Amino acid sequence: MPDRHPDTTPDRHPDTTPDRHPDHNTPHLPDGHPRRALRLGVAGPVGTGKSSILATLCRELAGELAMAVVTNDIYTDEDARFLRSAGVLPTERIRAVETGACPHTAIRDDVSANLDAVEDLEEAYGPLDLVLVESGGDNLTATFSPALADAQLFCIDVAGGGDVARKGGPGITGADLLIINKTDLAPHVEVDVAAMVADASRARDGLPVLALSRHDPASVAQLTDWVRELLVRHRSGTHVPTDPGPMAPHSHSHSHDGS
Amino acid sequence: MAGLAHLLLGDGRLPVGAYTYSAGLEPAVAAGLTRDRIPALLRARLHTAAVTEAAAAVLALRAAGRDPVDYGPVQQALAARTPAAPLREASATLGRGVQRLARRLDPGHPAVAALSGIGPRPLRPVALGALGAVMRVTEEELARGVVYDELQTITSAALKLLPGDPLDSVVWILDAEPHAAAAVAEALAVRTPAGLPARTPPLTEQWALEHAQRERRLFLA
Ligand SMILES: Nc1nc2c(ncn2[C@@H]2O[C@H](COP(=O)(O)OP(=O)(O)OP(=O)(O)O)[C@@H](O)[C@H]2O)c(=O)[nH]1
Ligand SMILES: [Mg+2]
Repeated sequence: MPDRHPDTTPDRHPDTTPDRHPDHNTPHLPDGHPRRALRLGVAGPVGTGKSSILATLCRELAGELAMAVVTNDIYTDEDARFLRSAGVLPTERIRAVETGACPHTAIRDDVSANLDAVEDLEEAYGPLDLVLVESGGDNLTATFSPALADAQLFCIDVAGGGDVARKGGPGITGADLLIINKTDLAPHVEVDVAAMVADASRARDGLPVLALSRHDPASVAQLTDWVRELLVRHRSGTHVPTDPGPMAPHSHSHSHDGS
Repeated sequence: MAGLAHLLLGDGRLPVGAYTYSAGLEPAVAAGLTRDRIPALLRARLHTAAVTEAAAAVLALRAAGRDPVDYGPVQQALAARTPAAPLREASATLGRGVQRLARRLDPGHPAVAALSGIGPRPLRPVALGALGAVMRVTEEELARGVVYDELQTITSAALKLLPGDPLDSVVWILDAEPHAAAAVAEALAVRTPAGLPARTPPLTEQWALEHAQRERRLFLA
């Protein structure tokens, strides 16, 4: 285990941890100073690379930030096991929650199980800077409730086809950052990354889009810089958690909502 | 109140994390339970776990009405009657969601504040007693809510684990009504924590212990 993670706090069982922090979920103290970690959600369709992004973020940032991970799976702990075996974070800082076969519910309609996991990690290893929460791989409509995630990445990939970005959905149009992943595969699937980024940018009304490949260090650096900047805003109290929006079947940024 | 609180208590969509629980169905299915045996499982739960849970919730609601509020005796009595550790843990996890809701509704309420004083986390029926006090439901409404929730939990989980016509669930629940009424009556008749019935069937415990060892689970317990 790398020594940059001095886990001095014994691993306490949730069952025996008294609830001493009634307002643990409050992001900021009255003076605006954050009392808890930034919670960053990572959502997106199955297999687009969410776990790999978590692994990348842990690998790149765990040296400078105190981090932990919560995964949501249809089956309990596939993602958690993948991340533990990646060796990017001490295994006990990676927790999986049971989602009762309802991964959508667990990150949006009823976030109890995820809040429990995040709070337990903060209690055991805190103070933490960053907690990453991976959604159960699902479709284009699943996004995090702001009651759970302060900010969220939505991840699609070039292998899903160049049209995905145009299809929209709340994650694509409203997530804090849209990632178009696996750009290294673009030539093999005949997708024009620049066009995909342009489509996505149009759908997002100026919200950022990042073309990412774990084989492209410059893109990885852009991702980590975005997270660092977000953390600065979270700490200064200037970042406002935003819901990406309702589960609309299809929406365009230039829809007629400008009143 | 306009009589909505007790409906909320029995609402499976109440956002307190209950969708992660199958009230023993997933462990039972792993042990070979088939869809045609679900009504029998419902009856079995109504004669066992549901009585203990509902009675404990009623005792906690009564404790919540006293000054000072002390949940210690009912929490201990319930823990002692829940010998399988995974079942205690599941109850504490579910209780935590209920506690979060109670705190949101009325953080300063003595019934809510007293939950924090419980060493290990409050078990679900204890937290439900506090929530019941905050929502001002009657003992009978609370007991019926707990019993109904048991039925609804199992039948909802069945849609995931032993799929079939969703309308069957309604038939099963209505057919179980006399047993549910008996469970409510029995729960209300319990006067003291010492008198809390110990009703965890050994098979349920065995299945819960096996479930906790499994890797690919959908539900807590
Ligand atoms: N070529 C390429 N493959 C990648 C990249 N990122 C991830 N992958 C591969 O994509 C596949 C899926 O990656 P995961 O990170 O497991 O995707 P996920 O979204 O977490 O998947 P689920 O949790 O099952 O929904 C794996 O085979 C990864 O190796 C990338 O940048 N380039
Ligand atoms: Mg994954």
